[in-house]
Amino acid sequence: MNLSVDIATAGKRSLTLTNPVMVASGTFSYGVDYAKIFDIQRLGAIVSKTTSMQARAGSPTQRIDETPAGMLNSIGLQNVGMRVLARDLAPKWARWKVPVIVSIIGSTVEEYGDCAAFLETTPGVAAIELNISSPNAQKGGMEFGQDPDVAAAVTAACVRATQLPVIVKLTPNVTSIVDIAKSVVDAGASALCCINTLQAMSIDVRTRQPRIARTFAGLSGPAIKPVALRMVWQVARAVSVPVIGCGGISTATDAIEFLMAGATAVQVGTATFRDPLAPIRVLDGIESYMRENNIADIHEVIGAARPTST
Amino acid sequence: MNIGYATVTETRRLYGDVYETWFSAPELAAGAQPGQFIMLRCCDDASYAAGDPTSNIQHPTSTIDADPLLPRPMSYYRVRTTTTGQEWGILYDVVGRGTAWLANCNPGDRVYAWGPLGNGYEIDRNAGNLLLVAGGIGVAPLVWLAEDACARGLNVTMVVGARNESLIFPASMLPPQVEIVVTTDDGSAGRKGFVTEPFGELLEWCDQAFACGPNVMMEAMAGVARKARVRRPVQVLLEERMGCGTGICYGCAVDVRVRGGRKMKLVCKDGPRFDIRDVW
Repeated sequence: MNLSVDIATAGKRSLTLTNPVMVASGTFSYGVDYAKIFDIQRLGAIVSKTTSMQARAGSPTQRIDETPAGMLNSIGLQNVGMRVLARDLAPKWARWKVPVIVSIIGSTVEEYGDCAAFLETTPGVAAIELNISSPNAQKGGMEFGQDPDVAAAVTAACVRATQLPVIVKLTPNVTSIVDIAKSVVDAGASALCCINTLQAMSIDVRTRQPRIARTFAGLSGPAIKPVALRMVWQVARAVSVPVIGCGGISTATDAIEFLMAGATAVQVGTATFRDPLAPIRVLDGIESYMRENNIADIHEVIGAARPTST
Repeated sequence: MNIGYATVTETRRLYGDVYETWFSAPELAAGAQPGQFIMLRCCDDASYAAGDPTSNIQHPTSTIDADPLLPRPMSYYRVRTTTTGQEWGILYDVVGRGTAWLANCNPGDRVYAWGPLGNGYEIDRNAGNLLLVAGGIGVAPLVWLAEDACARGLNVTMVVGARNESLIFPASMLPPQVEIVVTTDDGSAGRKGFVTEPFGELLEWCDQAFACGPNVMMEAMAGVARKARVRRPVQVLLEERMGCGTGICYGCAVDVRVRGGRKMKLVCKDGPRFDIRDVW
């Protein structure tokens, strides 16, 4: 049974995963915490918490809230910074079988490029994922992902700065995600990840205040799955690079839906909060599904729901 | 930390909207200390009801399945040995969807959980007199601490505060050696007022103090401790909204004092026990 998928193919910018199940940025910290809990080496890839050149303290609390079949988060990109990442974490990743993809953020286009250049010379990093989609950054994040030209400029700066594969994670908080997708692919993106959280909020009617300290937050979890699926379908049709599906994936069935919509791989995120074993259960479930349906190669599943003419 | 299903053995209402639920799953409390906690997923569980946790492909995520989404952190409240083995209990106020779901659990029902988590209370080796201060449902982790301390032959005084008499944890359920001081906001039981007053009076008596309750209560205690003639170490258990309980979501941050400034720490992983002087 073949589960391996290519996320990037060109020369040094190539990345092949042993299977399509990844963990999403911001839902697995830096990967080391759950190494004791399950065999993380079985995963297709781990995407780190988004990291900036300088460490960030993140948002004040309240940072999270529960909503129907979903959650709001406004963590505010709390992270250890690139130097600590390179000193304390990357040496561990370098000994792992599972590839680690580092999610990066900058306050300026140049800072994104600086992060990419820094990681170019850091052993243990398999690829970078550009966070131009977080609705919670006071600087950077979504503001760079809502305009096709700005998104392309950030992508181009990173592609120039590193030979590593560059995955661009897109925001759903735009008029046309397809326009942004095409623009960053033209700028050299190796692959796309769809989608980051939907910008949202909640109010406590007793205190008459927004529940989240910074008012707005990102909505994730099963509630957003149908939206994410629709966007993966649209983007996969419009671009020629691999698309990684992300948004509310909790079970193998969810993951297979995204693969059938045209995703080459998937990221499990919020589901890991309600079950630390969720990523591995998704992988086990995909394997069972393939066995039960006599599917020898995962590529028979990828795009299976799409009309054959496209 | 272990992950798995805990089987409910008993659920009962104790007072007000406060319930205790007992579980038989010793591995989920293996090595646990008073002040540590467990994450409980409080929702119907169609995905894994078939018994084979890897067979979730047969059971697509449904709305019921994903709601309430997030697991709830609960302090271990007591452990006990029954004819069928070791059990651990939780004590909680029914305040929302998760706790309402828990209160409706019947013996035999299974709850997906992972623990023990976090850093519990630490009794100093030289401490002989312990002062425990509980506000409202914050009594839960202190009940076990009191039992543990009494079993070690230490002197325990426990200040138990609540809004009114009907919300006071029953004294009959604490070890008989514990000296109990009750306060209520309205004076319907014990002393009228807040726990901070007896806390201030008893601070000099104790070698070490332990608290759990609303943040406003513990902040007021910090003020009392600062002004006191004597310095006594005070450990507090903090509560904050949690996503994962294990340090991966960064939801439960708290701004605490560290050498050379302040830093965002995580209640679940760096706490939930903190030195009161590092927080307020």
